[in-house]
Amino acid sequence: MSSMSTPFAPAGSRSRLTARIAALPAADKALLKLLFGAALLALALGLAGGFVTALARAGALTFFPDDAYRILTLHGVSVFFYWLYLIQAALLLVLAAAENGRGLALRPVAWLGAALMLAGFGVSEWISATGTPLLYDGSPELAVDDPRSVGFFALGYLLLSAGLVASAVSGIATVLQPRLRGDADEFSSIGFALFAWAGFLVVSAIAATNAFLPGVLWSLGAGPFPADHGTEWHILFHNLHYLPLMATVLVWYVLTEHLTGVKSIHGARMSKIVFAAYLVFVPPTSLYHMFLEPNLSESVRVVGSLLSLFVSVPTLAAFAIIVSSLEASARARGASGLFGWMRGLPWDNPAMANMGWAAVNMMVGITFAFVLIQGELAPLLSDTFFVPGYFHFFAAGVLTQTFLAAMMVMLPAFGGGALWRPAVLTRMPALVTAGLVLFGAAGIAAGFMGVPRRVFDVSYGGVAPAAWPVLMALVGVGATVFAVAIAVTVYGVVRTLLSRRTPAFQASVVDWRAGPDGVGAAPAWTGPLSVAALVAAMYVFTIVAFQLIQSLPIIAVGGGHGH
Amino acid sequence: MKNDELWLTLTIAAVWAVLAAVYAFVPSLGMPGYVRVWGGGAVLFLLLAGLLTAIGRKARQG
Repeated sequence: MSSMSTPFAPAGSRSRLTARIAALPAADKALLKLLFGAALLALALGLAGGFVTALARAGALTFFPDDAYRILTLHGVSVFFYWLYLIQAALLLVLAAAENGRGLALRPVAWLGAALMLAGFGVSEWISATGTPLLYDGSPELAVDDPRSVGFFALGYLLLSAGLVASAVSGIATVLQPRLRGDADEFSSIGFALFAWAGFLVVSAIAATNAFLPGVLWSLGAGPFPADHGTEWHILFHNLHYLPLMATVLVWYVLTEHLTGVKSIHGARMSKIVFAAYLVFVPPTSLYHMFLEPNLSESVRVVGSLLSLFVSVPTLAAFAIIVSSLEASARARGASGLFGWMRGLPWDNPAMANMGWAAVNMMVGITFAFVLIQGELAPLLSDTFFVPGYFHFFAAGVLTQTFLAAMMVMLPAFGGGALWRPAVLTRMPALVTAGLVLFGAAGIAAGFMGVPRRVFDVSYGGVAPAAWPVLMALVGVGATVFAVAIAVTVYGVVRTLLSRRTPAFQASVVDWRAGPDGVGAAPAWTGPLSVAALVAAMYVFTIVAFQLIQSLPIIAVGGGHGH
Repeated sequence: MKNDELWLTLTIAAVWAVLAAVYAFVPSLGMPGYVRVWGGGAVLFLLLAGLLTAIGRKARQG
């Protein structure tokens, strides 16, 4: 390994990505900075709400039930909808503009999209703070006597959806520009991924309209009570699982090339197939969200269980492509050791650190996701703390860290400012992961023991098992650790967004594009081995879950409210 | 393979259309929302495939 040559890009040099961002028209930069700033505001609000919620679940804070659910609603709405979708709109537009090389097409449409999304953000935050707390799924059943809250809550999401459609239309028009100009006769793999992702955003907006328009109509007296909201929410919710994961993998592709110069060794065609696979697998895998419905037939349950196994195929395929491309390139430069080749990556670059730890979090999160979505376990676990215990590995560990990594690379290119304290930012992802491991381990154990998911006071008058408060206290400690670490990162990214200071040094990258040994001369096993280890871990934890649950004196009844 | 994008987009539209049809023609599934969403998605990706075809044709015509 010591003989491995890892040339660093000369200080001050720009990658194709950052050079193209730096060259964007001023109007595009202003729009993108507005979207990135709004996304960070949503993340900060959601982080604060989540932190307070975790402290309340740990017993460190006490709220009246309405206040507790209001905070939980603000947390979910801010993070799950506005952080994840404002940042996706921003990333779609900035990557499309960089792909085009000449800025955004249909710029007024992109501005209209931003205005609609920000209006939705304002409406959703306002009604969540002042109306009946509906939690992030906006279930009308929680406010049958308050149509005003239902209507405004639904209106917020409809505005967000309309804004996403406008952003997607601008994004599609932008990635098509090189072909319209005759500069290209096909998409790059990133261009095709952006094209497909934008289409998927539009479909998700259709799903959101299908779920929330009835609530608006009912509140106006123009339609019946939306009794089917739970089912319609499941369809939207299914899309909302895939969209940010597809965005994450796309960002990993982009950042890998920026940080190492390495593109997929499997070719653009394979990458396009993997990105298309996200969309191919979306509808067939949607049935597992219905496992909580008590009336679901056994045949549908069996088919849904089988199809759910495909749910992570595109993500794991993309992961394997990226890791094998990196490993093969490193070995072509003389790297050795099963995992030793990774030491040559630019780990002192905060974007690399965030991306690397995001991959670790993904492996843990997928393992427990598969435990949850099995037909026999879903009814037992879905209303327990198992769910927040595992999904924060995705929401915070994978998605948030990946999107923050993208901002660390892109934001300095917007205004020529400096990345805030890279040495501090580089240390945060490990801290985030440590907090998540504590939060997740305690939360998943609590879920196996039956701690309910959305009940703030789980003492049950002193008759609850003695382990419950201990586990929830550990949940609070873990949440505190990762919330503080993410808050430091968010602060650093905001400082970077506002920076006008010329960078004193360039965050390090390496150039692994060509090696003397030739790509493929030495086998690259880390990617496939990681996937094999993941499958083994899923198998083991599923057995453990069945053993634990069968040892508990409980009877499950389908709840039907969804995740 | 210049037509990768076209056949991939058409594959997406086809899969979504089949799923929409299943939900539409098996009423016992009781999920009309799936018909609207997957059906709407199938139409959208069909339109995007048409857009790719039109742009390809325009490019070939110079």
